[in-house]
Amino acid sequence: MPNDPIIARLPGFVSAIEAIRELVLANILLLGQIPAPTFQEQARSAAFLERLTQAQADECATDGYGNPIAIIRGSDPARPPLFAVAHLDTLFGREVDHDYQVGRNEIIGPGVTDNSVGVGVLASLPEIFRHLNLRFASDIVLAGVIQSIGKGNLRGIRHLLKTWPTPIRGALVLESVALGRLDYYADGMIRAEIECRVRTNHGHEPKFRPNAILVLNEVLNQVQAIRLPQRPRSRVIVGRIDGGTKHGVIPSLATLGLEIQSTAYGMVKSIYDEIRDIVSGIGYENEVGMEIKTISNTRAARLPYNHPLVKSAVRIIAALDLQPALSHSESELSIFLSHEIPAVTLGLTLGDNVNQTDSRMEIAPLPRGIAQVLGMLLAMDSGVCDA
Amino acid sequence: MPDSWLRRHTFHYAQFRDLARLVAVKEEKGMTVSICLPTLNEEKTIAKELIILRSELMTRFPLVDEIVVVDSGSTDRTGEVARAFGAAFYRADEILPDLEKRRGKGENLWKALYITRGDIICYLDADIKNIHHRFAYGLIGPLILHDGIKYAKAFYDRPLAVGKNAVRPTGGGRVTELVIRPLFALFFPELTQILQPLSGEYAACRQLLEQIPFPIGYGIETSMILDIWQRWGLEVMCQVDLEKRVHRNQETKALGKMAFVIMQTFFRRLSRMDHLRLQGEMHHQMIQYRLVGDDYQADRFTYGGHERPPMIQIPAYREKFHRAAAGVPLPTDGV
Repeated sequence: MPNDPIIARLPGFVSAIEAIRELVLANILLLGQIPAPTFQEQARSAAFLERLTQAQADECATDGYGNPIAIIRGSDPARPPLFAVAHLDTLFGREVDHDYQVGRNEIIGPGVTDNSVGVGVLASLPEIFRHLNLRFASDIVLAGVIQSIGKGNLRGIRHLLKTWPTPIRGALVLESVALGRLDYYADGMIRAEIECRVRTNHGHEPKFRPNAILVLNEVLNQVQAIRLPQRPRSRVIVGRIDGGTKHGVIPSLATLGLEIQSTAYGMVKSIYDEIRDIVSGIGYENEVGMEIKTISNTRAARLPYNHPLVKSAVRIIAALDLQPALSHSESELSIFLSHEIPAVTLGLTLGDNVNQTDSRMEIAPLPRGIAQVLGMLLAMDSGVCDA
Repeated sequence: MPDSWLRRHTFHYAQFRDLARLVAVKEEKGMTVSICLPTLNEEKTIAKELIILRSELMTRFPLVDEIVVVDSGSTDRTGEVARAFGAAFYRADEILPDLEKRRGKGENLWKALYITRGDIICYLDADIKNIHHRFAYGLIGPLILHDGIKYAKAFYDRPLAVGKNAVRPTGGGRVTELVIRPLFALFFPELTQILQPLSGEYAACRQLLEQIPFPIGYGIETSMILDIWQRWGLEVMCQVDLEKRVHRNQETKALGKMAFVIMQTFFRRLSRMDHLRLQGEMHHQMIQYRLVGDDYQADRFTYGGHERPPMIQIPAYREKFHRAAAGVPLPTDGV
């Protein structure tokens, strides 16, 4: 669309951002190197708020749940606000060395791809707006949300949206990777942990007592045998397994983490019920303690593929010479969509080793990633969410 | 011992965190500020320092006018990385090339005087793991806000419990506590108030730095303190608590070499100041032994104690900065 004024501005955004890239990289480093495991985000949250205060955002505060929020006032108080959010928490505990290594075109360190880049870009937006002389009619709400991943179960964003006093016009969810990513729907999801615990008799262990790992293996076999429907599209992902102490000792404790996804939340619940029955049965048959616990869940929600917000995002991403990768994510996006707030998730740069201690982001693609955010905010401000 | 210097001249970096104010005063006084990073194979750490310093102290707040990297001959990609992140990169050998070539941190710092243009020069090591811009503005701040202060020295968080509940940074590393502090206590007790005399981060006014000699190696921190103290007194100095600095752990053997050079520099100064008369020459070799098979082999480290003269004595410098041979007199007003 050659006459689209926003598309026409994108190349200028990219070069202007390249000229001030240190601002963004500094925020990625200064915030990303503060450990922020889920439920212990306070230090990163305080630093995030301090950076936004220093960047002279109009209002900076923490909501009642502890989410740090800044508002950049728009020119039209009658317009509902636009949101940009990034989750603050990471998988890595305080004991992990968060010293990031910076090379000519890369930053390497724990959490950099999930979600230090998202947090760093979010904290940089007030200054980027100022440098690029960007003004909006709507207020822009920048929210770093806490307690998002794993057992956090998206509590931060749930609270934020539950208590936000006004309608919300639209939202962008910022994720570090991968550039071109465009999530516009969220499957229904239940994340669960299955624990197998073999009882011991006051420290005396029978020679042929059940092996907790093998018992869980039986659970796995039966879960794999569940017939999943083609429609609604559904799947079970076994994401982690943990158990045992050393090679020659029969493990008495093992855990299994899995996620059930489906385009229909009813199907997610149905599969969950089936797995729960499997777990109970195997526990009973093997005379071991078996428990299944729900860690988090989200309902299925989506924007139509032809929603103007999605179409606009596809255009902007393509105009930056990127291939839009349309998909889903069960993250903050789910909560926005379930509140019927138009929203998409965008990736900001390229990277690899995601969620490893040596995760790596590329510096060179970042200006394009930020330019798409600016383009999207301008598009949303001009009304693409209002359809 | 007048311990009031410790109270009056010890600051915390947070006293200078109002960067907008620092910039306003700097501009009002017409000052310029340079940061110099001396390097030798720092490709893994230098980018982070440059990103944060440029972002916070150049782009966001124009407190610093230039960042230069002076390199001792790195064999890695230090130069390429430094240039990629916007620093002016110089090889020490290429600065004032007509002079005899020397190699060492002190040499880099001395030559930085020639290629920088700042009225204030802030020296930072290029391997600070937990780099934060407070390392620079905490040292530059006192020189901008307090007319009488011409030299600001960093000290860091090496917590030692004091009293009931107070935990304050009070001391230095092993070489500080085992070498330089005892020497200061023996000969110049007033200087023991400087909590970490060997810290690698400090800022000073050009008019002061250009008038003192620079040993080319590790002795630079010791000599700088002694020379400034002898010539202008403790009142032109201050020290700033920069809180935590993650230090690179060095092996005892490496610290031994450092201690050797520092002692050599110290005794040379003592002799020059007529505090101690050496009956013979000091030796220039540090000898350390290691067991190889059944044999003890000597590792010899030679340090000739070379010093560069005050930069003001270099004609090319005087010409570039329009200086008279005597340098610019320092104001003597207090803090």
